[in-house]
Amino acid sequence: MNRDVSSKGAKFKLNLARTLVYIFLVFLTILCLFSFYLLIINSTRSNGELQAGFTLVPSTHFFTNLKNAWNDASIDIPRGMLNSFMVAIITAALTTYFSALTAYGLYAYNFKFKKIAFTFIMAVMVIPKQVSAVGFVQLVNKFHLNNNYLPLIVPAVAAPVVFFYMRQYMESTLPLEVVEAARVDGCGEFKTFNTIILPMIKPALAVQMIFAFVESWNNYFIPSLILTKAEYKTVPIMIAQLRSADYSKFDMGKVYMFILLAILPVMIVYMFLSKYIIKGVTAGSVKG
Amino acid sequence: MKKDPEKKKKTKGVSYAKWGYIFILPFFLVYFTCHFVPQALTIYNSFFENYREGLTQVGPRFVGLENYVKLFTASSDGTIDILKYTGNTILLWLCGAIPQILVALLLAVFFTSYRLKIKGQRFFKTVIYMPNLIMASAFSMLFFTLFSNVGPVNQLLLSAGIAEKTIDFFAYKITVRGMICIMNFLMWFGNTTILLMAGIMGIDQNMFEAANIDGATPLQTFFRVTLPLLKPILVYTIMTAMIGGLQMYDVPQVLTKGQGMPDRTSTTLIMYLNNYLGTSKNYGMSGAISVYIFIITGIISIFVYRSLTKED
Amino acid sequence: MKRKVIASLMAASMVLSMAACGSGSDSSSDAASSAAASEAEAADTEEAASDEGTVFNIYAWNEEFKGFFEKYYTVPEGVTVNWTIVPSDGGQYQEALDNALLGQADAADDDKVDMFLAEADYILKYVNADATQDIKELGVTDFSNTYEYTVQAATDTEGITKGVSFQCCPSALIYRRSIAEDVLGTSDPDEVQELLSDWDKFEAVAKDAKEKGYYMTASFAETYRPFSNNVSSPWVDEDNNLQFDDQIQAWMDQTDTFVENEYTLTAGIWDDEKNAQMFADGKTMCFFGPAWYFNFCMGNAQDPDNGCSGDWAICEGPAAHFWGGTWLLAPAGSDNPTMLADVMNTFINDEEVCSALIENEAQFTNNQAVNQKYAEDPDYGNEFLGGQNDTAVFAAMADNIKFENQTIYDQILNEGLQSSLQEYYKGSVDKDTAMENFYKLVNEKYPTIVTP
Repeated sequence: MNRDVSSKGAKFKLNLARTLVYIFLVFLTILCLFSFYLLIINSTRSNGELQAGFTLVPSTHFFTNLKNAWNDASIDIPRGMLNSFMVAIITAALTTYFSALTAYGLYAYNFKFKKIAFTFIMAVMVIPKQVSAVGFVQLVNKFHLNNNYLPLIVPAVAAPVVFFYMRQYMESTLPLEVVEAARVDGCGEFKTFNTIILPMIKPALAVQMIFAFVESWNNYFIPSLILTKAEYKTVPIMIAQLRSADYSKFDMGKVYMFILLAILPVMIVYMFLSKYIIKGVTAGSVKG
Repeated sequence: MKKDPEKKKKTKGVSYAKWGYIFILPFFLVYFTCHFVPQALTIYNSFFENYREGLTQVGPRFVGLENYVKLFTASSDGTIDILKYTGNTILLWLCGAIPQILVALLLAVFFTSYRLKIKGQRFFKTVIYMPNLIMASAFSMLFFTLFSNVGPVNQLLLSAGIAEKTIDFFAYKITVRGMICIMNFLMWFGNTTILLMAGIMGIDQNMFEAANIDGATPLQTFFRVTLPLLKPILVYTIMTAMIGGLQMYDVPQVLTKGQGMPDRTSTTLIMYLNNYLGTSKNYGMSGAISVYIFIITGIISIFVYRSLTKED
Repeated sequence: MKRKVIASLMAASMVLSMAACGSGSDSSSDAASSAAASEAEAADTEEAASDEGTVFNIYAWNEEFKGFFEKYYTVPEGVTVNWTIVPSDGGQYQEALDNALLGQADAADDDKVDMFLAEADYILKYVNADATQDIKELGVTDFSNTYEYTVQAATDTEGITKGVSFQCCPSALIYRRSIAEDVLGTSDPDEVQELLSDWDKFEAVAKDAKEKGYYMTASFAETYRPFSNNVSSPWVDEDNNLQFDDQIQAWMDQTDTFVENEYTLTAGIWDDEKNAQMFADGKTMCFFGPAWYFNFCMGNAQDPDNGCSGDWAICEGPAAHFWGGTWLLAPAGSDNPTMLADVMNTFINDEEVCSALIENEAQFTNNQAVNQKYAEDPDYGNEFLGGQNDTAVFAAMADNIKFENQTIYDQILNEGLQSSLQEYYKGSVDKDTAMENFYKLVNEKYPTIVTP
């Protein structure tokens, strides 16, 4: 067969493929940026203009909206961002770490209830969360944990979906020989996990950190029922607050502006973490 | 971190089983304190009449399987509603998820291919993930105004002469469902791409090089090396897309203002559940629907999981 | 370095999770430190308080009333006012409020809800419940100046009044002067009112308007409130059967005609398509709405370039009705009954405060005497309405508004009927299917209502 990649025919083929791929990518980029473009357009328009229906042409009220949103008496944007950031980052860290830990526990060790534990987690992953979310809030009320971040953060330790990803990822990329090798080197189990395993699954950690961060950042339903004091409120609650304003203060321009502002921190976090989604360096070349 | 003085025990033949228990302990502790009670109550409540009439609590009164019977009783027009909504949900999910996973797989391969050496990867990777950052409700609001009767899409179609009169996108089954699928696709394909990409990155790079040296074509490499090694992650992607798909809620809810129009053809299972839960706090009926979704998802999951993991 | 960061995060998280797990099983551990601290605080202040509480808790979904309260109400010394503001988006406000009210009996005194706000759409849910109490017993007894319908709205089926409104929202027929001139030959509010004073006349005019190329209204649901506010029977009978009042039936018949003859559009009342009709080049003669509607929601008409500010006027229209408004309700178990009554009295009977609400806040208050004073002011006029004195129109019509035969189900039933029928008017389904879908919705939302 033709093994010579540098031959003319192959090169032409490669260039053609490359061009097609770029066209495809540009098409998707336009699609994705378009939704963003809509949001930016709306953030430049006044409430009156927004009532007038939708157009694709930007208006001139960007800075007015920015100023109005920033100065709105009912919300404190920097505070909200800080609150959201804190909750989201801790949630993301907890959920990735403990999911990886759980996944590793079920992946690397053999014990009696291993299969049952796995099946159990898979089963609870499937339960729709709507109804139990309401029950959870009532539980929080009962224990007087309102206006407290614990009920938003702690449950993240048990995240079946994240666990499942970690487990699948380990199955796909983590040879158990590495663990054996570490044991021979006299490395404790916890230490093995923290210093050898975690760096090996860095891309998976980064991916789930991003997702968990975004999910927490945009979470509205439960936080809005738990965080009722102004100083605890997170970004989505504040946005809903703007949308609940009375008619004399109602201003969709502010709402879109805040939605836009709220995306910036997530983008920064995304760009930071996506650096770690790089080619993993596997310790051994053996694949189990 | 605790550095347990366990080192002495590293002798061969020692059982490491207890570490398995220790590692999974935090998960189960938190699960049982935070998630278990509400989830168990959901199932428990499905056997009770339990709702509010205004602020007055009715029940809980044990009614056995009555809620389930009611769920499967045909309404006066002859349809069994829940089956209709199950159909809607599965259709909406498939139309969004299939292109989503295929495109994501394609992109993941492009981005990781060292033959293609795509330039501006960082840019593309950021851009495709961006729609996922916008809150679903905000995203739906944008689409709603975009496709309204006086919105830009109609204006464009009219001025370009493609449409003769205003098209009411919210009056037809196909257009409403189409919008929902497009939105779900846009919101989630970047997310899936990243998942798969991380999976491919994790694959031992030597495998690709070996394949290359052996003269495998890109297609062969993909099907013989990438796909088999990526399978666990792909299984994850399909499973979670399915679980999420069967619980689809916010996009159709906001886009159709909770109505699932026209003629409830874009009403999903969770929207149906929410009709019971929202106003009357009907834990009985919404519990029963939850259990139904749980069972349906469970069955499909087992089927999918088995068929995907069996071939080996 | 990064590893260190992650490690310390992990360490922190471990501690957090362990602590939280402890607190789950025995509720008073130190993980719940902040909650515990606030409880301890509560215990301290309890002793310091006299016979009434020192913390006044108010539940609301936005800051409108908070603004008025902070400006115009003097809080008694030693009392702290706590605002719990939960957005109404997604039904969260009622969810949070219901939880608080249902837990009221077990709550510590300083956590008890002392007053909460409710909108007309769902006020009866709270008025017709034991969770609210008789305000006459608290000392709110003077209703000589409030509008009758605002009291009816806050009165339960046994005649016990449980709250007051600090505003009154009579809704008018808002018409385009230029179109009225063309269709009716006049744009004078009194003459227009004479020509549109009942529904038969309204329909006849709609026909004339159509012939001249105009729409009578821009939404099929535009006339819903004027009908539904004047029903003579509630949505459900004694046996909980769903019933259609003659007024609702009349609205459906009228709307069938209007849609069929294209006197109106199939847009909803908040849709862009309807709003587009408010521009200068719009073809619609009539809108219905209160002051807040034409002041804040008719942005297109006020647009400096494409709008038509000044080309509008209002009159009572075929039927008196209202739209919106916020009520202050008295929850049972409040530990600040004196202050609660005082707040209510201030916002309905204090002339100074009510005058300030009109002058500084553009409110139409719930005090007839004060409103009347401004209605008679010859210098006052609304520019948007071409200088017409809207307060005078509202003052004259507010007495005719009724809040009778309403039920706790009304919001869902009214909205559900409209949205179900909209699909029929748009041609997506036939009428039977539309009604069938309406009944389905009713059955899902209210298990006790029996549908045909």
